[in-house]
Amino acid sequence: MMGDQFRKVEQYSPKSSPRGARSPVVSRQDSSGTLKTTILLGKNPSIVPSGPFYLLKEPPVESELTGATNLMTYYGLEHSYSKFSGKKLKEQLSSFLPTLPGVIDSPGLQDNSSLRSVIEKPPIGGKELLPLTSVQLDGFRLHPGPLPEQYRYTNTVPIKKHKNKHKKHKHKEGGLPSQETTITDTANDTHEKKHKKQKRHDEDKERKKRKKEKKRKKQKHSPEHSGGLTPSQHSS
Amino acid sequence: MASSLENLETQLEMFIENVRQIHIIVSDFQPQSQNVLNQKLQALVHGLQEVDKLKSHVQDVHVPLEVFDYIDQGRNPQLYTKDCIEKALAKNEQVKGKIDAYRKFKANMLVELSRTFPNELNKYRALRGDE
Repeated sequence: MMGDQFRKVEQYSPKSSPRGARSPVVSRQDSSGTLKTTILLGKNPSIVPSGPFYLLKEPPVESELTGATNLMTYYGLEHSYSKFSGKKLKEQLSSFLPTLPGVIDSPGLQDNSSLRSVIEKPPIGGKELLPLTSVQLDGFRLHPGPLPEQYRYTNTVPIKKHKNKHKKHKHKEGGLPSQETTITDTANDTHEKKHKKQKRHDEDKERKKRKKEKKRKKQKHSPEHSGGLTPSQHSS
Repeated sequence: MASSLENLETQLEMFIENVRQIHIIVSDFQPQSQNVLNQKLQALVHGLQEVDKLKSHVQDVHVPLEVFDYIDQGRNPQLYTKDCIEKALAKNEQVKGKIDAYRKFKANMLVELSRTFPNELNKYRALRGDE
């Protein structure tokens, strides 16, 4: 029995250790958490732990920034957070880009205008951009008259959303009367609508007022309301 | 950085406006509009030149590809930002919860271990020093 134990100890001698022929006595940085023991031979052989036990692994280096910190504050994003968390954002792209003309809320794949396709198939670039020569401009000589039906598409511009800031572009370089008139028309329209709404609102107010007065008059003449004080009024 | 982005935005807006005006001119073309159209076409080239010039100023702007998916689907890209912020906050809270739980666990463990193995724990504390 005892012999067996000794044989076992021999098996783990430094010669056959996985660390090669290094002696375990040689002190070295131990980060593996191995258990250092002293084996006493003799009449009563015993194994006494002589080094730090395995719980004493070197603790991991604590990083300065962990999830324990409020990262939103750390990176100064509180403003963005409060900006987006509170209000309910509109789903459509047109609410983000109200100045863009045309229908932009439809999927880009439908009309082959997706940004993905620009990344997947980048356009040919690298050439110098030069103004068109008079010969090249001849290619753009057009026939008078309206476009054929299939090329016309209704330009549903969310005009009412246009900000004043961007309106300045519209009056540049000899404005285009047809579109301008539609803009002003719609503006007038909305104004008129608002005015009508206001009018209706005022009428409602007046009607309510009249009703109230009628009620008051009725109460004055009713036998229950003889002009006396209510119990609560008495107490005060 | 902000100003270069603003510049690019302005340039793009002007370019889009120019294209819109060309669309109006050609949708019901009048012969006397040919000169205006030619000017607009030159302005188009000029607009592209301006955008090309600004290219170098925005090289270090990184845009997540997922934002493009939002835009391609006709959705407000701010929703992406909102989702990101909300997810980051939720994850931050989750990790903080874990760290706090581990801290409590460690403290409780040390208390319990010192009750059961006072000598060993004293040795441990002596070796660790900082505990």
